This record gives sequence, C-alpha cells and structure tokens, in this order.
Amino acid sequence: MLKDFLMLAARSITHRKMRSWLTVIGVFIGITAVVALISIGLGLDQTIKQQVAGIFGVDTFVLVPKGSFGPQNHAGANTEEYALDLQYLKSIPGVKVAAAVRQRTGFVQGPTKGDGPSTQGFLPVMGLSPELMNEFESFTGKIEVQPGGRLFTEADEDVAILGADTSERLGAKVGDTILVAGDDKKELNLTVVGIMQPDDEGKSSDTNRGFSAGMNPGQGKDTIYVPYDTMNLLWGAGNDVLVTLVRTQPGDDVDEVADRAEKALRARGSEVSSITYSDISDAIGTMTSTVSAFLAGIAGIALLVGGVGVMNTMFTSVLERTKEIGVMKAVGARNSHILTIFLIESGLMGLVGGMVGTLLGLGLSLVASKFIGRFFGVHMAIVASPALILITLAGSFSLGAFAGLWPAWRASKLPVVDALRYE
Amino acid sequence: MPLLNLNGVTKDYQLGKTVVRALRGLDLHIDKGEIVAIMGPSGSGKSTLMHILGCVDTPTAGEASIEGTQIASLNERQLVALRGRKIGFVFQTFNLMQTLSAQQNVELPMIFQGIKKKERARRAKELLAKVGLADRVDHRPNELSGGERQRVAVARALANDPEILLADEPTGNLDSESGGTILELLKKLREEDGKTVIIVTHDPDATAIADRTIRLRDGRVVEEVLDA
Repeated sequence: MLKDFLMLAARSITHRKMRSWLTVIGVFIGITAVVALISIGLGLDQTIKQQVAGIFGVDTFVLVPKGSFGPQNHAGANTEEYALDLQYLKSIPGVKVAAAVRQRTGFVQGPTKGDGPSTQGFLPVMGLSPELMNEFESFTGKIEVQPGGRLFTEADEDVAILGADTSERLGAKVGDTILVAGDDKKELNLTVVGIMQPDDEGKSSDTNRGFSAGMNPGQGKDTIYVPYDTMNLLWGAGNDVLVTLVRTQPGDDVDEVADRAEKALRARGSEVSSITYSDISDAIGTMTSTVSAFLAGIAGIALLVGGVGVMNTMFTSVLERTKEIGVMKAVGARNSHILTIFLIESGLMGLVGGMVGTLLGLGLSLVASKFIGRFFGVHMAIVASPALILITLAGSFSLGAFAGLWPAWRASKLPVVDALRYE
Repeated sequence: MPLLNLNGVTKDYQLGKTVVRALRGLDLHIDKGEIVAIMGPSGSGKSTLMHILGCVDTPTAGEASIEGTQIASLNERQLVALRGRKIGFVFQTFNLMQTLSAQQNVELPMIFQGIKKKERARRAKELLAKVGLADRVDHRPNELSGGERQRVAVARALANDPEILLADEPTGNLDSESGGTILELLKKLREEDGKTVIIVTHDPDATAIADRTIRLRDGRVVEEVLDA
C-alpha cells in the first residue's frame, strides 16, 4: 500500500512541476550549504591533523612555556621563556632524544681584519642542541650551511654558525674567529664553522614548517648560532629556553612520557607545558568543530526557510485538492491514508532537495578544495562519507515530512461532506 | 428488511449564527435492487439526503440504517469501512484524479482496501471493459470525453463491488446522448448485477429508468411516484 501511496504522491508532485521545483530549490539551497560546510569542515580538520601528524610523528612532543598553549592563552606563545635542565630531561625514563633552543642578546665582535677596526654590536645569540640540527627535520625543515661549512657535532664547544646577513655584517667567513660576550664579563672566542644558506623564496614553504620562528634557524639571518652547552658557558643556566623537542623511546606512549616529563620538570622549577600530537589534534578538533557548528547553524537557517517553503506549498496543495481529498475519503480512504500520502509528498520534495543539495554541496566543497590547493599550496581532502550522505538524505526527507506534518494533518481531518462540497 | 431505512431523519447545519434545517423528519425506505430517482429543486435537501445515504454524514435526529446497522452508532473508522465496502459514488463533475490513468482511477478505491496490485489491475480492466472503455485504460481523464470520464467514474464506483451505487447528478454535465448511455449503464448494472441504484437528479430521463421517483421539497418527501 505504501508503494501505491508513493506513486500517488509522486504523481501529484510531477503534476505541479513548476511549484514543486521552486519548493525543491528552497530545500536544496539549505542542504547544499550544510553539506558543503560539513564536508569542507571535516576536510580541513583532516588536512590540518595530517599536516601536524607529519610534523610530530608518533613519538615526539614539545615543551613550551607554561600557559602558551591551550584555550586560555593563544597570544602568549613564544613570548616567555623557561629554565631547563636538559641533562635531567634526557635522564627521564622514556626520553630518547631531547633538543632545546635558548636565546639571548649578546655583544659580538667580528674578526680583526688587517689594519681596519673589527665590526661589533649586539646581536641575538641562539643556542641549539646539535641533535636539533639533524634529528627533528620535520620541525625545523632542512638546515643547511653554505658549501665549505658544517653543522654542530656533539663534541663542539667554541664554535659558531652565522646567519647569512651576520656573516656579511661581521665580515666573517668559515674559519674566522669571532668574540661573543655573555654575563659577568664571560667571553669566548668562537670559530665560525658554517654560514647558513640564505633563505630563498623557493624554500620558504619548507622551512616554515618549523613550530616557531625560534626553532627555525634558516629564518634568523641576523642571528649567531652556538651549541646549546656553549650558552651555559656564556650565560649559565638561564631562564631563556624558547622550546624543547623530545623524542621518546620506541614503544613508549608519547602522552605518558610527556606527562611524566612535564611533572618532573615543573617539580624542579621549569615552568613548562608539554604538547603532543593528541593535544594539538584535540585543539584543532575543538576549533574546527566550533567553526563548523557555527557555520552549520547559519546553514540551518537556510534549511528552516526551505522547510517553511515546503509547508507553504503543502498548505496550498491541501487547499487546492480539498475536493480530491473528499473524493478519496468517499471511495474509502481513511484519515491515516490521507495523512500518509501528504507526508510522503512533502517528504519526497525534501528528499529530492536533499539529493540535489548533496550533489551541489559536494561539488562546492570540491571547488573549495581546488581553490585552497591553488592559493595555499595545501592538498585538502574532501570528506564525503557514505554516512554523511545517508544522514543528509534521511534528514532532508524528514525535514520535508516534518514541514508537511501540519498541512497533512489538516488534510486528513477534513470532513468528507465539507470536502465534497468544496468548489 | 429494507436495505436503506430512514425514519424521521432531521439534519441541521450551522451557518454562522443561524441553524439551517436541511431535512425535516424525512422517512425513506429503499430495497435491495431498486433504482430510485430523487428529484427536487435546489435547497430541497437532495444533497444532504445523498450524504446521509452515502454514510459521509450522520443525521442530527432520527434513524438511518444500512442493512439494519445504525450509521449514527458508527465511529469515523467504521463509517469509512462501511462506505468502502457497501457504497460506490458517482459525481456530477466525475471527480477523477487528473494525475492518474483511467485504470489507476478505478484501482484507487481498491488501494484503500489493501487489495494486491495484480488483482486490482485485473479487476480494473474488467470493470473498464464492462463500461465499454477496454481501449481507454491508459488514458488520462483529460484525454477522454465527458461521457467516457463518467463511465470511468462508474467503473471506479464499482471497484469494491458495492451493493449500492449513489449517483449525484450523473448526467448533469453531459449531453443527452452521453447522459443516456450512463443511465443505460446504471440500469444494466441493476439488471445484471443486482445493484441498488440511487440517482439524485434534475434529469427527467433518469426517471424513465427508475422504479420509483421521490420528490423532495424543504427537506421532506412531498411525492413518491412508482414508475412502470
């Protein structure tokens, strides 16, 4: 019987083509918006998470100044530093490699050149663990020095690598000696072992993968880089660590180790927070779902308007077909039959709107993905799960049926005599 | 026992603040297999009587029964079931579904009775053949002449094999030739299938096929003529 009612409803819809299509348009605009926004939202979420996962892997976490990550304080990131006992961190169970970055501003004097005076001034001095230069490429990007130079090794102490600009300003080449002064008149003569490759445009997207500018030596053209331990010789153990990268032992749970390290370091006075992939992933999830919910809310208004359109059409239809309803009742239709026929009719309009809207919405998110790919250089996945499509189609049928509920109920309750008399 | 029995039936309608009395203590008995013509001027209560006989309305006072069942005692659902089984309607303006073919229109009452598709199709074709429209089963109402539409409506009225055919001005919208064909068809249905036919009409030709003609005025039977 339901199949016959479906036929009756479909006939009625196709009989009033123009009005039905206008109603369907009202529905599919809303559905298009919802599908596109959900699909783009999920795609962005997935893409960003993949990118972050690519950087973090499954075994790495970061220690940042306490409070600089998380919902309370986004703006404060990298504006504070913390004290760190790197040797102690390395001794915490589960930690395989740990590399930190600390930064100071120091007095620097270039090499003496024959008769002329040497260049001198205050420059940023950055201490890098040697491991940072080769163990955490996903964070730092590839660190390269110009031909003839080299990166730090674990045995290095009185050495420095210069940013390209610094090298020029100080007039220092590989093999020259520069003077760096720390606190309390501590001075060290450091041998230049390398000059950073100047950061050209073509490489920027790669080097920008660094978690912050502080970890990204390629960008600090006016900086002097020294081994992490050399910083201790110049300034002692200071409250100047920007960031620490930690890789865990294979098989250890990164979140557990991060938690353990954070607690242990805090107990020793380091104001640090650990960030693992799951922390970032959660934060991204919260952010994207908040944005998605907001956008879906707006799209929901469009859907509501579509629903009111269906209701309007159905009321008109009931009025127009009053006599038809009377005849159907006269030939044996029960109230429930009339109700079902009209509900199917409004549901079908919702469903057709849902199908068109789903296709258009997926098309729109495809266009958005291409657009993002072209202008931001990121491949954005389109998330169009069968579940999303099924839920959308079921939802649009329900929307139509729900909007048609009142008109259909009115139709079913029409007294036969009045309906038959209706002209 | 008469098939249809009306005793002292009164029907009031509320029109705004005034009460209109459409039937005033009307008595009527119709036996199985009769053809009865009901005539009368506008406002005489013909349509109201028709609705009560067709179980689409119930009397305000008095008794109306079909085969002894008081229709006032039935709830909406029982009335629908009784209508579906016992009564077939033919309307002046045909009232066919424009979106459906002739066959589908005839199938409609059977759909509501839950009859299977195959059986419905078989019976609909049989009925359309009976009314002389075997070659018109797939035509939509707008592809048929007035007389043909009314014949489809008669076939639809017969769909659930009812005992009573209620025809409200069946020839009112037809030329005399088509009207004559419809009246002949109704007569044939009584003769061949024993149907009880009640025709509400202005058409004097209808009285020619009727066993009895009942004239109404102001909600009462004012004349009852037995036709030969």
